[in-house]
Amino acid sequence: MVPATGLCEGCMRTIDEIVAWGAASDDAKRAIWAEIRRREAQIAFD
Amino acid sequence: MRLPASMQVFERGWLSANNILFSGRDGATLVDSGYVTHAPQTVALVGHALAGRALDRIVNTHLHSDHCGGNAALRHAFGSRIAIPVFEADKVRSWDEDALSYRATGQQCDRFDFDETIAPGDVLSMGDLAWQARSAPGHDPHALLFWCADEGILIAGDALWQNGFGVIFPELAGEPGFGEVRATLDVIAQLAPRLVIPGHGAPFTDVDAALQRAYSRLDYLAADPVRNAENAVKVLLKFLLIERRAIPLADVAALFETVPLLVLARERFLPRSSAELAQWAVRALEKAGAAAVRDEKLVDA
Repeated sequence: MVPATGLCEGCMRTIDEIVAWGAASDDAKRAIWAEIRRREAQIAFD
Repeated sequence: MRLPASMQVFERGWLSANNILFSGRDGATLVDSGYVTHAPQTVALVGHALAGRALDRIVNTHLHSDHCGGNAALRHAFGSRIAIPVFEADKVRSWDEDALSYRATGQQCDRFDFDETIAPGDVLSMGDLAWQARSAPGHDPHALLFWCADEGILIAGDALWQNGFGVIFPELAGEPGFGEVRATLDVIAQLAPRLVIPGHGAPFTDVDAALQRAYSRLDYLAADPVRNAENAVKVLLKFLLIERRAIPLADVAALFETVPLLVLARERFLPRSSAELAQWAVRALEKAGAAAVRDEKLVDA
């Protein structure tokens, strides 16, 4: 996890999202995926 | 896909295997604990889901580093008891890193102690459900499946994924593996689960199609053991790459001279120089979209 953002560096999900993922609907997963893509676009890779 | 209310699946990735958290009158149990570098995240996930309760027990399907790397940290955080497949007991007691595969694969795992062993046929209560341990050799000779007949749910570890199964490691060392994978797939087919929770990837219900893909994959690999060795090389390199994020291209060849399983695969099945094999492996990962070359480095993709 990255302390500053609270995101897993690998999957770009928060702890809440990872815990909820297994029981989430396809729509909810798609919404998280959209958010993941947005987060990825904001990350500056070294 | 319906899961009993007493169980939760944390779908992780490839470095960390999935974790299955059970919570019931019989306490809280976690099946598999991920890779050691993710251990703080695993502790956070479990702590968040248990909301202040302790994790009473950790159970492992098998002791590869991506399935038990969080054991030590979880035990430290929650005082959890640890239950492992019975045939691994001596290796864990003496923490024999050679026999436990960590040295052979170049992977890491924090040392942990155990309290209980699980033998094939044992029935465990997890999430107020009865789970029978079944032997699942092939990917790992001592791996276990956990089968809940009442719910038709199978915890498969790396014996069956939606698309394939884990590397057949025993064959690299000249030990039988192909026949064992087939026998394990036959056991799963006979159980006929309605839902499989794999060690990696999402839980799935189209089990017959997954079994057919697994049998086809097995036929392909068993027809020529070189294919199994090539697959193992790609998977091992990809794992190291996920862990390290980037590996200088100049260092890849050295892996084929220092990581024991890569050395073994080269010597037994892939008679090329380590430089040639490194070049082949880099190209293979690039072609699969699993890696890219940037600034003289192999980077995870």
